[in-house]
Amino acid sequence: MAQRKQTKTTAASRFGLLLVISLYCVMPFVWLLVAAFDPGAGLFLKMPDQVDFSNFFRVFYEEDGFLWLMNSLIVCGGATLLVLVLSGFGGYALSRTQAWWKRPFLYSIILVRVIPPTALIVPLYKVMLTCNLAIAGVVRSVVPPEHFRQVMRIVGFIDGYLGLILLLATMHLPLALWIMKTFFDSVPREYEEAAIMDGATFGQRLRRVLVPLAMPGLAASGLFAFIAAWGDFLFPLTFISSPELKMLPLGIYSAFLRDSQIDYGLLAAIAVVYTAPAIIAFALARRFLVQTFGGGLKG
Amino acid sequence: MSASFTRREAWRNRFLILPSVLLLAAFVAYPAGFAVYTSLTNEALSGPAAMNPRFVGLANYAKLLTDQNFWRSLAVTFWFVLFSAIIGQLILGLMSAMLLNRRFALRPLVNAIILMPNAVPEVVAALMWASMLAAGEYGTLNNIVAWFGVDPQRWLTSFPLTMIIIVNIWRGIGFAMILMTSGLSSISDELYEAARMDGANTSQIFRRITLPLLVPTIFLYLLVSTVSTIAIFGLVFALTRGGPAGSTELIGIYIYNQSFNSYQLGYGSAVAVVVLVFSLVIGMLYVRALKVDV
Repeated sequence: MAQRKQTKTTAASRFGLLLVISLYCVMPFVWLLVAAFDPGAGLFLKMPDQVDFSNFFRVFYEEDGFLWLMNSLIVCGGATLLVLVLSGFGGYALSRTQAWWKRPFLYSIILVRVIPPTALIVPLYKVMLTCNLAIAGVVRSVVPPEHFRQVMRIVGFIDGYLGLILLLATMHLPLALWIMKTFFDSVPREYEEAAIMDGATFGQRLRRVLVPLAMPGLAASGLFAFIAAWGDFLFPLTFISSPELKMLPLGIYSAFLRDSQIDYGLLAAIAVVYTAPAIIAFALARRFLVQTFGGGLKG
Repeated sequence: MSASFTRREAWRNRFLILPSVLLLAAFVAYPAGFAVYTSLTNEALSGPAAMNPRFVGLANYAKLLTDQNFWRSLAVTFWFVLFSAIIGQLILGLMSAMLLNRRFALRPLVNAIILMPNAVPEVVAALMWASMLAAGEYGTLNNIVAWFGVDPQRWLTSFPLTMIIIVNIWRGIGFAMILMTSGLSSISDELYEAARMDGANTSQIFRRITLPLLVPTIFLYLLVSTVSTIAIFGLVFALTRGGPAGSTELIGIYIYNQSFNSYQLGYGSAVAVVVLVFSLVIGMLYVRALKVDV
């Protein structure tokens, strides 16, 4: 009898604890979701008088929401693509080689992941500035002056897509290289050897054997790279200044900093637009989380 | 396989890894080295030093030792890491993992809810908490504490450090929970059964079996979360920008403010190098703890 009573209290306290933790986690979301659909939203949580999509319309028609979204997609998509290509090839090479540099390289790229980005930001700025000057020189000599600005916006390193794409890809490359290396370790060499025996070139092996086999690994590394790039705030903040290149996190940040009346409904709507892809990608990546961080990077 | 084939494969491998090496060298290794160099100069974005920076040796590091703001920032970072990552996230994450270890109807939902804060971009998290912590009697947190008879507070002004710790705990429970769940699942059920046979109660089982067997997981978690918490920038910057009066100026924000608001690049780099060295030491412990075999 006493035993049963105890189980009941345990169950109740269990439930109570979980309830408190869940409320803690979910509370901040409530305001965001309510405010995004409330045309009269303010900083405080309140029941909306009216629910509609007017905030979202304003994000896309009055503000440059579409532009911010496109910029974010271009930069993060580009960085993810680059990570996929580099980590696919690099991970394969790291898995197959037995060269002396394999071990030091793999260990030192783990260290890249622990470097706080803020600690690198100043020298990075100088590196980017130097690259930008070099590229500007080249662009100026081949492109007519009236198109100079547009071209620099694409290939520039400061205030340009290319620099930010390369930078974000590099920062998230180590994890992806490890994932792919570990992944290729588990792909038996026999598959490849069979293809070699049949006289397949490297290109054919790649298309027919390696890429199809590597799909799950590529999915994991691509998702992680995308999530990290999408959520990044420091690099866009430092390297993007022109309004044409503004990305979603900067859009939110600047809407938040406006000195005059802050339009919270608008802000919440931008935030929802920005958060949705992140949550979707996270949901997809969830099953890879434990493998990647849990057992650490163990194969 | 013939020798020429093997040699060709070796060259191709080098060629395949080369772009990655170049990018990492250009955007990580070189800047890290350059930070060390800059920290030995009086480089600045404004003032006379902007025109021709001089080599000043260890002067920046000497200045660092006597700079109250630097020490305050270190202290803020220390308490932030200790209370949010090492204590808060770990305890709540472990608790959630254990509570969710048993199957019940709502388990997937609760799991998803706890993971959600982790999935939100940091700027959005800051925005949501700006509303939560808003001052005035209509602020959400003020409404909540009002049920317990507490007067409305100006949370981010009166308790800034505590608040950013609470925000960061909120963000990290999910990650801790995932790691702890994987650690718990590797403990065999037979151990628990045997202990129960011997008449052990719940707290004994936790102290004698669960906790000791979780130690490797917890250790790994602490290393990962310590370095990632030291690196936090956007979450706190977007919420407080380090204020009021530097009370939430984590080391990352301090470096940023020194470099881009005070324009003291040389000095900012000296701080960066200190952080870099510290993180690398923890990183090396991490590498050893992983016991990776390559």
